[in-house]
Amino acid sequence: MSGIFDIPKPRINCSMLSQHINRPVCFVGRVEKVHPTGKTFTVSDGEEKTATVELNEPLNEELYGIVEVIGMVSNKGAIMASSFNILREDKGIPFDLQLYNEALKIVYDFPQHYPFQTTVSE
Amino acid sequence: MMKLTEGAIEALSNGNGGNEAVLQLVNIRKIDGGNGPARFRVMMSDGRHTMTSFMLCTQLNYMAEENTLAPNCICLLKRHVTNILKDGRRVVIILEIDVLKPASEVAGKIGDPTPYTEGQAKGTQPAPNPVNRPPLMPQNGNEVNRGFSRDFGKKASSAMPSTPGGGSKIVPIASLNPYQSKWTIRARVTNKSSIRTWSNSRGDGKLFSMEIVDESGEIRVTGFNQEVDKFFSLIEVGKVYYVSKGSLKIANKQYTSVKNDYEMTLNGESTILPCEDSSDVPMVQCDFVSIGDLEVKDKDSIVDVIGVCKSVDEVTRLTTKTNREVSKRTLNLMDMSGKMVTVTLWGEEAEKFDGSGQPIVAIKGAKLSDFGGRSLSASFSSTLMINPDIPEAYKLRGWYDKEGHAMDGQSLTEVKGGSGGGLTNWKSISDVKTEHLGHGDKGDYYTCIATIVYLRKENCLYQACPSQDCNKKVVDQQNGMFRCEKCDKEFPNFKYRLILSANIADYGDNQWVTCFQESAEAILGQNAAYLGQLKDSNEAAFDEVFQQANFNTFVFRNRVKLETYNDESRIKATVMDVKPVDHKEYSKRLIMSIRKLASQ
Repeated sequence: MSGIFDIPKPRINCSMLSQHINRPVCFVGRVEKVHPTGKTFTVSDGEEKTATVELNEPLNEELYGIVEVIGMVSNKGAIMASSFNILREDKGIPFDLQLYNEALKIVYDFPQHYPFQTTVSE
Repeated sequence: MMKLTEGAIEALSNGNGGNEAVLQLVNIRKIDGGNGPARFRVMMSDGRHTMTSFMLCTQLNYMAEENTLAPNCICLLKRHVTNILKDGRRVVIILEIDVLKPASEVAGKIGDPTPYTEGQAKGTQPAPNPVNRPPLMPQNGNEVNRGFSRDFGKKASSAMPSTPGGGSKIVPIASLNPYQSKWTIRARVTNKSSIRTWSNSRGDGKLFSMEIVDESGEIRVTGFNQEVDKFFSLIEVGKVYYVSKGSLKIANKQYTSVKNDYEMTLNGESTILPCEDSSDVPMVQCDFVSIGDLEVKDKDSIVDVIGVCKSVDEVTRLTTKTNREVSKRTLNLMDMSGKMVTVTLWGEEAEKFDGSGQPIVAIKGAKLSDFGGRSLSASFSSTLMINPDIPEAYKLRGWYDKEGHAMDGQSLTEVKGGSGGGLTNWKSISDVKTEHLGHGDKGDYYTCIATIVYLRKENCLYQACPSQDCNKKVVDQQNGMFRCEKCDKEFPNFKYRLILSANIADYGDNQWVTCFQESAEAILGQNAAYLGQLKDSNEAAFDEVFQQANFNTFVFRNRVKLETYNDESRIKATVMDVKPVDHKEYSKRLIMSIRKLASQ
């Protein structure tokens, strides 16, 4: 787990979670529901599907908007977050999740041009 | 067998012939009158008499050229005007004629008509009384004969104040010709230009032009210098005027869409008087071309179009070669052909245009250009009408609301470069080089996303003439005065202007470009005056501005053209416009391009 920041973390959406079990990923989505315990929340992707993010420690701030989560995908398909980052939308252009999703698909449709995953395999 | 209107020839040659006369065409002959359009002289028979002094108005020349009017055919004279020549002979000018029976279906000459002697004392027949009648009154010089126009002619002449030459009768615009000077027309102004000035080696002057229309046709009218002073302020678009005594000459079709072989120049004798009762004079005459047909029209032709305004862009400002700032706005028009074309409006029309609610837009006299496939430009001589009160507009509205709105509309104004994004000709810098852009006569425009990799600080500012709109470099007289050669004046001050050389790069290549004032200010993020001040007072801060500007990415719209200095040709690239990158738009375009490439 300690090495997660040193290795490539492919960007994925919800439909790709199952292919990345036990692998580090980067997930960008919109915060949907934060659990009352503050230890887990749900995020939706550009296809309006949702995923669960689990945290090691409860949130100590209000969470809303677009977040970028880095973490491992658990066996159940949840993202065990190592870190997350709120992408502020209040200044400038709102984040276009659908467009981001389109870009993601390009990366997966043309792996020969986006060779990010290769180093992950070992 | 058709019956001819016996006695019609006699009546016509007396100047009191009515319309709706059925006549047989005996002969038709082309007269080559030097320059200008050919004229056709026609010999007609009413079964009793023949007369040779018929002329076809040039608008009907096609009927002769297509052999619709051929010897023996039987015609219905629907509208004519009689002109009296200096020697008293009458010439009947045919303004409208129908062929009732084509020549092929007529056995031959009907009856045994004899030439009606008329002024020329030919033929052996004793001249009947009314023959060779000189015009009794100058007012009778022209007689328009057409049920309705005759009425209004009378009404108009009684209401008409006398003109310097004595009141001449109202004639239709279609009958005007250079050989006839005594006339008055009653017409509606459909378009009026602003005053334009010229200045060349032969002196300077000003002019304005307008287009006027009556039920017979339209004509372009130009006034120069004194006539500008005299008439310009009087003329209001949409109003009706009596116009008399202009000079007529062959129209230069290059500059106008007006359907008339002649155009009029106002002279010292011309008069223009407002006419109050104008309801019967038609509004603008348009000959709409389907947008789908624009593809086959020649470049630079002048066309009338009508369409639904599907979309409209924001107004933008740009500076012309002559350093004038103009507003510009583009809109997309679609008609029942399902095709769409981009139209550019300029100046005040661009600023005022309101495209909300997808109005019907009619443009008379738009210029067709081959810029980006096919596009239209509404120039100073065009007339723009929003939701005009004409049948075509209602038809189009009905069609659009019912089915047209659901159509996508295929645009004739194509997008070059394969990727989306309106009219923008997206290129990478290497494309520009490999496609040899700028090697043509006119220079090419393209848009790219590139990053500033180097800015040449040296000589990026120059001292320019302080007068407004003059940006000429001034010469430092070394006595505290600065001289502008263009204004031929000396000033105690100057203004700083930018001319910045920059090297811009994208993933594949780089390019030296020249940025002028606005684009350079956008890149540097500072205005020229402030930069000038910094340069003179704080060199370090000045350098800092340039450092900060490095490695910023922008959308550049550039013009490239091959230029030759001292036998050496090289591509000169000038930045027309610099904009911050709209990343969302950029990403969309990239995704589209990738998908498109992948599907090939």
